[in-house]
Amino acid sequence: MALEHVAQGQTRFFTPGVAPDPRGILLGRSCLMTFPTLEGAVSWLRLYASEASLDELMSGLAITKARTALGSREILIQIPAVSSYAADRAARLARLVGGAMYTGTSKHFVKYRDDRSPYGYDAIDIGTMPASTDFMVHGDEFTQGYVHEGDLPFDRLLFRLSVRKIPGADRLSPEDRADLFLAVAHGLSDGIIRYLWRNRVEAQAGLFNPRTTSAFDDHARDRGYMLIRVRNLPERILQLFLGTPGIDVFKPAGASAAVAVGYEHPIDLASCQSVFAAETFHVFWPGDRVDQLPGPLALSDIGDLTRVDMELDKPRFPAEHSGGAPNPIGVELRLAAAMGPPRRVVATLIPVAHASRLKRILFALPPVSLRGHRIAVTDRGVLVVGTENLDVIPLGQLLCELTPGLLVPLGMDVVPRVSPEVLARALGHATGIITVFTPEGAPFQIPESAFTTLERRALAKLEPDRAGVEDLAAEPGDEARVINDAVGRFALWGFPDAADRKLLPPSGGGETK
Amino acid sequence: MAQTHVRVFLERFVKPLVAGGELHVGAPIPIADVERWDTELDAATVELVAVDEARTNVLSTLVVRPPSLVLEADDLQLAAGLHNALFLVHPRAELWSVSDRQRRRIIDNALTLVSQPLTRERKRVMGRHALLHNLFHLARRDTTVSWWTGRARFQGQAPSKRLTAWRGIRRVREEHTDVGFEELFAVDETKPIIATLLRRTPLTMLLDSQPGAPQLHWEDAVFVLRDAELARAVAYALVPATSPSEQVREPSRLAAAFEQMLERAPDEADVRAVAAFLVHLCALFALAEITMREPNAKSPLISTVLASEAAGQRPRGLQTLLALPGALALVDPRLSVPPGMGSIPALAQRWKVHRAQAAELLSEPVIDALAQRLRRHLRPAQAIAV
Repeated sequence: MALEHVAQGQTRFFTPGVAPDPRGILLGRSCLMTFPTLEGAVSWLRLYASEASLDELMSGLAITKARTALGSREILIQIPAVSSYAADRAARLARLVGGAMYTGTSKHFVKYRDDRSPYGYDAIDIGTMPASTDFMVHGDEFTQGYVHEGDLPFDRLLFRLSVRKIPGADRLSPEDRADLFLAVAHGLSDGIIRYLWRNRVEAQAGLFNPRTTSAFDDHARDRGYMLIRVRNLPERILQLFLGTPGIDVFKPAGASAAVAVGYEHPIDLASCQSVFAAETFHVFWPGDRVDQLPGPLALSDIGDLTRVDMELDKPRFPAEHSGGAPNPIGVELRLAAAMGPPRRVVATLIPVAHASRLKRILFALPPVSLRGHRIAVTDRGVLVVGTENLDVIPLGQLLCELTPGLLVPLGMDVVPRVSPEVLARALGHATGIITVFTPEGAPFQIPESAFTTLERRALAKLEPDRAGVEDLAAEPGDEARVINDAVGRFALWGFPDAADRKLLPPSGGGETK
Repeated sequence: MAQTHVRVFLERFVKPLVAGGELHVGAPIPIADVERWDTELDAATVELVAVDEARTNVLSTLVVRPPSLVLEADDLQLAAGLHNALFLVHPRAELWSVSDRQRRRIIDNALTLVSQPLTRERKRVMGRHALLHNLFHLARRDTTVSWWTGRARFQGQAPSKRLTAWRGIRRVREEHTDVGFEELFAVDETKPIIATLLRRTPLTMLLDSQPGAPQLHWEDAVFVLRDAELARAVAYALVPATSPSEQVREPSRLAAAFEQMLERAPDEADVRAVAAFLVHLCALFALAEITMREPNAKSPLISTVLASEAAGQRPRGLQTLLALPGALALVDPRLSVPPGMGSIPALAQRWKVHRAQAAELLSEPVIDALAQRLRRHLRPAQAIAV
């Protein structure tokens, strides 16, 4: 079996279904990793999940049990070849745990690139595949056919893996204690809620029964418990809860799962959130127990759950007061100083009065510095939008992007701080529209079609030091075309001689100043 | 014969020459008529304003504040000279009935008209450029009509309807050919007229060219480089953001003209100005690459244009252009690096890579030979410092 090193710029290959990616690396639609044991495959998943998100691979991830012609069994993981960067990481981790990686599209997979051949390998003598073989991998010195034996769905594998006790992991840092779940047995719930309320711990609580699929499981109701979500739990209370029978503490792992404090799932659950159904919440207990709760968790504030003392024998009737119509609920949007890190500057809004300065800068800058910039001239100002290097135009109010097309002044944020999607909906912002918030006045919107490339022609008509100009683009001139008119038979009759026979003036002489 | 009014000439020839459109070339214009037109300009305000607005529009992409222009007698004479040059390629001028003497008379007339004094005045230079900026792009559409028994060629004229009637029966076929600068102005009779005319508009010579056009004389155009705004406009127009071969084409033309300049006896200050300008163009090549991911990677531009397999297709002057910073470093290091280069570290890094790559691909003897030629014109730096 022969593999040939792929050369830089090579575009034609013998292996079917592979092509060079933008870096020139040979890549099929999928990558296939072979592991001699299931432990190897799990180790790979564990390593990959800790370094990158498994969610991006989940659309095409398949774990397969396969048999070779000699009867040996291997575990194969097939992932989509998202990019050669992701494939590089996958190959590195596969080698680390004793596996090998190949790339291809359907039946034939060829060895993925390594140090000896940085652009990958091409199998040059691919023959007919035996009928009993489902797919084939081509390595350095061998070709191996595989017969598909069965699938091992990733979600099943995930729930079959046991959480492991990590020594010292029950000592949580303040950041880890910021958000925790408590599973409290029924009998303790009132006391725990009162205790948390007295200690001014922010918490929400709800009662849950784990879902069961068995009709004979009559005790599922007995396994119900109160789930309390606590924020910023003090260390002393955490240690108290960890040592109290009937109370279990869990740490969230992503939005749809929680793992017992002191334990860790072999695979980083936060990196594979798409495995969990949207309407479920999974609680991973020690001892291979996984509870599936209805999600998203509906919790109530514990302040409303504390005991209420009533004296029914002394009724008090409310005093009547007259009132008017209720005020409509509306929130005024305004700009306030941003709290987060500064965002990338993508635009600048230059007052119309400063447009002539922009023109001077525009004419002074080399065209390469302005590549990728666009301009729209409005009555609210000249809006320049760029992709990078916007600092070449030191004019106007710098704007950064809140969400695509929604621009706010640099260092400012829109309050109330609603999500960009809600804000966009409230403003009528959509694709193809640029919405600009300004420190003064109401926000305004410009269609993307109003933008033109920023070049000399875009502001050519602008009269320096004169305001109120809006249509600034110069029309390119038409092509000049010579038309020979009919001149008649006697056009040259009477055409005089030139006055002076000495035609060319001496060089450098006779200049006009 | 009824005398033509200047407004007709402005409307049908000068305005299309500036703004584009159909340039109507008629009978040659005697000098006496042009002199009369000068007195008639006051009665052609509408046409005059239209021409001047079109000229301002042309200049609006060159300078921030285009000067207010008024078409003057010398502009009118240059346009009339060009008109008469175009008559020489008019089909009427090629008939057997037009004698060599008559053609010579037209050439002399056109030469007299375009032989206006040279100028270095900024406004006049810009006005002449605005008038003649389209010169290199004038085109004519020729039509060849063939039918079942014959064929006829129409140069810049529409074929008569008589010849194109009954297309199907007479098997009429029309073929269109566009002829450009080379066919119109690079022929023996028009070449001296156009060379004389172009010498009057150095800004046009700097900004544009065509194959077959006369070569730039740097001595006529170097004064433009001393106007910072015009020099910047020329530099940016000469280095378009297109393919590598397009990027170096125009700078190479100017470098070829610089080579010719070194063979003459130019003023030292002029040599310094042109050399500094060409070095600035080289810096623009480096500036276009400062966003490259690898700051020390070889320049794709220099690799492409100096590739050994494309050595036969290198434009004239390219070697001089890319060897010039290296040669100036041997002769007068102050000219070899554009001022302010050190203030942008990324640009300085790319400049270093460019120079090393150019030296590697051009070889030391090429740079040394250019340095020898420069030494004949540039005094050593110490002498000037004193």
